[in-house]
Amino acid sequence: MSRRSYSKHIPDFRFITHFAETGSSPVHRMSPWTKVALLFFVVAFATVLTEPLHLTALFAATLLFYASGKLPIRVLIGWFTFPVMFVLTIAIMFVFTEPGTDLARFDVLGMSVGITDQGVLVLAKLTARALAVVTFSLAVFMTTKYAHVAHMMHRTMPGHLATVFLLSYRFMFVTTDEVTDVLDAMHSRNGSLVKGVARQTGMFAGIFGLAFVHAFERAERIAKAMESRGFTGRLPVADSCGRPSARGYALVMSSAVLLALAAYARYFDPVVPGWW
Amino acid sequence: MAHVHLEDGALAPEWVLLWSAVAGAMVALALFMLNRTTITTRKLAISAMCTSVGFAVFMVSIPVFGGVHLNLTPLIGILAGPALGSLSVLAINVFSAAVGHGGWGMIGVNTVVNITEVFLGYYAYRLLRSKADRFLSGLVGTVCALGVSAVLVVLIVTVSGIQDSAATQEQTFDNMAFIAVVNLVVAVIEGLVTAYVITFIGRVRPDLLADAERALRPKPAPTPAEA
Repeated sequence: MSRRSYSKHIPDFRFITHFAETGSSPVHRMSPWTKVALLFFVVAFATVLTEPLHLTALFAATLLFYASGKLPIRVLIGWFTFPVMFVLTIAIMFVFTEPGTDLARFDVLGMSVGITDQGVLVLAKLTARALAVVTFSLAVFMTTKYAHVAHMMHRTMPGHLATVFLLSYRFMFVTTDEVTDVLDAMHSRNGSLVKGVARQTGMFAGIFGLAFVHAFERAERIAKAMESRGFTGRLPVADSCGRPSARGYALVMSSAVLLALAAYARYFDPVVPGWW
Repeated sequence: MAHVHLEDGALAPEWVLLWSAVAGAMVALALFMLNRTTITTRKLAISAMCTSVGFAVFMVSIPVFGGVHLNLTPLIGILAGPALGSLSVLAINVFSAAVGHGGWGMIGVNTVVNITEVFLGYYAYRLLRSKADRFLSGLVGTVCALGVSAVLVVLIVTVSGIQDSAATQEQTFDNMAFIAVVNLVVAVIEGLVTAYVITFIGRVRPDLLADAERALRPKPAPTPAEA
């Protein structure tokens, strides 16, 4: 776990890695390829499905998957703050402007503003979609070892891109700790209480500038160390992850069939979900 | 926020595919630009560090106007260059999607917005730097890049529409215009922060800005033969 994290609302990579490296649930034992394929299908389902009931079922399924990984539910609820905030940023105006039946109406600055049933429905659906994907995504990363993530990146990405990903993943732990250190130093001197946009902006610019300069100096040292160890442009990946099991293949195939049905129902024949 | 992070399901599947294809083309262009030059280990390490610092920085809420977070994408472009900067912002978007800060299916659309910021930030800074000092170049370059990206977000969402919403394009535009105004205010804050950071880096490590200020380097003295 991290020494500190910025807040309980932001997932901490060390916390995620701790669960990934030490857990022993059935989800931890599942092939990483299967989990990534399932993540793709969850994202696709969240995008294709439109019925509130189906979206609720998707969210429930992802919660079940998360719980099967023996991962902490209370922490997850705290982490929901971010996606909910982003959904609200986009959708809050639609609650008032979406055509539909008024659920409530009140005056704001001399204007009559109404909350419509369709507006609330749009907001609810977007929230269910976002939370389903976030839950599954966190479950995947909290149950997959770094070595396996590195192997999959190495296998699937172009050389430079994979190198940037793998290096930045390793650097992230150090830089987040460093930024947190500087923020702690600022808070201990009542820095957060300084008023005035110019003062605040200048102070945070100093923090970020320092973080960048330190990061560069560290990057240069690391680059020299890598070159002295014979780095040829691509990070070597020692470990590999196993192929999906028969059950994994079955799970992925059934998800693919369900997705095909959902897409067919959405674009061609809405009656399809009724008979299957 | 300096720009809007869309969550999964905000756009219809066809739009997700379209914007992902556009983002793929932009990343392919960045990789093509990289393959044409020699990428040193130092450059790769610096790009990776930019990614990790960028990710760490945008998790920090600045207590201005009730709390905003920055992306520093134009700064990443200025420091790492447009090609490596593009890969950095893609990596930041992927890491962000992993923790729910923007959706997996939205990586394409978020990357289009961020790569635009990286390219505009880098080239605007280079253009301005030949006429102005670091602070002003950083400020104006960043505000331009983020201003364009704020408008781009509004256009993307207006054209694509929010899934399940019956709002017309005009209504969607009106709704998004409010967010654009907020983003433009934040762009000025981010511009100031970037300008301060560039001035700071220029004082302590001017070599880190060498690529973005390449045109400014003094030409070598002519040899006697040339003279």
